[in-house]
Amino acid sequence: MQNSEVGNILNSVFLIFIAILSLFAFFKLAKVKASGKQLNRKNRINRFGDNKRGNIIEGESTEVDDEKRNSE
Amino acid sequence: MSKHAVINRFGRSANPAFTKNFTNYSRDIPSSELMTLDGAVNKTGILLSLCFGGAFIGWNIPQLMLPAMLIGFVLAMITIFRSPAKAGSTAPLYALTQGIFLGGITLFSEVQFPGIAVQALALTFGILATLLVCYKSGLILPTQNFRLMLVSAIGGIFLLYFVNFIMSFFGSTLSFLTSNSPMSIGISIVIVAIASFSLVLDFDFIEEGAEKGMPKYMEWYGAFSLMVTLIWLYLEILRLLAKLRSR
Repeated sequence: MQNSEVGNILNSVFLIFIAILSLFAFFKLAKVKASGKQLNRKNRINRFGDNKRGNIIEGESTEVDDEKRNSE
Repeated sequence: MSKHAVINRFGRSANPAFTKNFTNYSRDIPSSELMTLDGAVNKTGILLSLCFGGAFIGWNIPQLMLPAMLIGFVLAMITIFRSPAKAGSTAPLYALTQGIFLGGITLFSEVQFPGIAVQALALTFGILATLLVCYKSGLILPTQNFRLMLVSAIGGIFLLYFVNFIMSFFGSTLSFLTSNSPMSIGISIVIVAIASFSLVLDFDFIEEGAEKGMPKYMEWYGAFSLMVTLIWLYLEILRLLAKLRSR
């Protein structure tokens, strides 16, 4: 086997190793929540609306507590 | 009494069409039916496995390449525009058919330029992992402007590809897209960069969906969008490497 052929095989083995390592890193890291710097900022893209906001207008109305009302 | 005259007069409406907040899914769905990061990543793994399986078929039976590409394209359009909720059934088929297409195109590239497939694969997954680290650590912060710029750039690229496709029927092509000139290589590098940054938008989509408690099917949709970008990135890298090797 010539030197260039051996070099090509070693190159391929190295690149396959890089690909597998990258995939492993992806599957490990993707399951970790992003950093606070990424999540707690005001200019994030808002695709799904603000989930933390309810549909009650703050300061204008209150939620009716059935249990409290029944006990009264 | 509420400050709103309409509420005082008519009371709060019980009509579900008015009371349901469509962006607020998590209130109506049990927590086991909500999108999670783990779920989206596992589904990406399933789609990647199917894509590799398809590539094995495409590599051995390259005649299936064109029909698979067309079926994959139709499935992608259905998933994006008709039924994102059915991504659980269309996304695996999309991954399989696009895998067959990629297997065929990789075989032809490999015959012409030996070793190109492994290089393109390593670069694609290397970019995927690197950008994920950049996103998770907050090194890249996607904003609405970032998204607008990327979407405009992607629109421009696909318009160019469409013009090139139409021109090919008349025996001509846009040489700055298809030749191996320095300008064409430069354009390919820009396209690879745009495809790479699209991955950041996909990561952000999955992260936000899981955070805001989107329904379970969005895991499949998130994994599908990541697969679409990965397949595009792989093809662009393959094209760039082919241009570089043909010089």
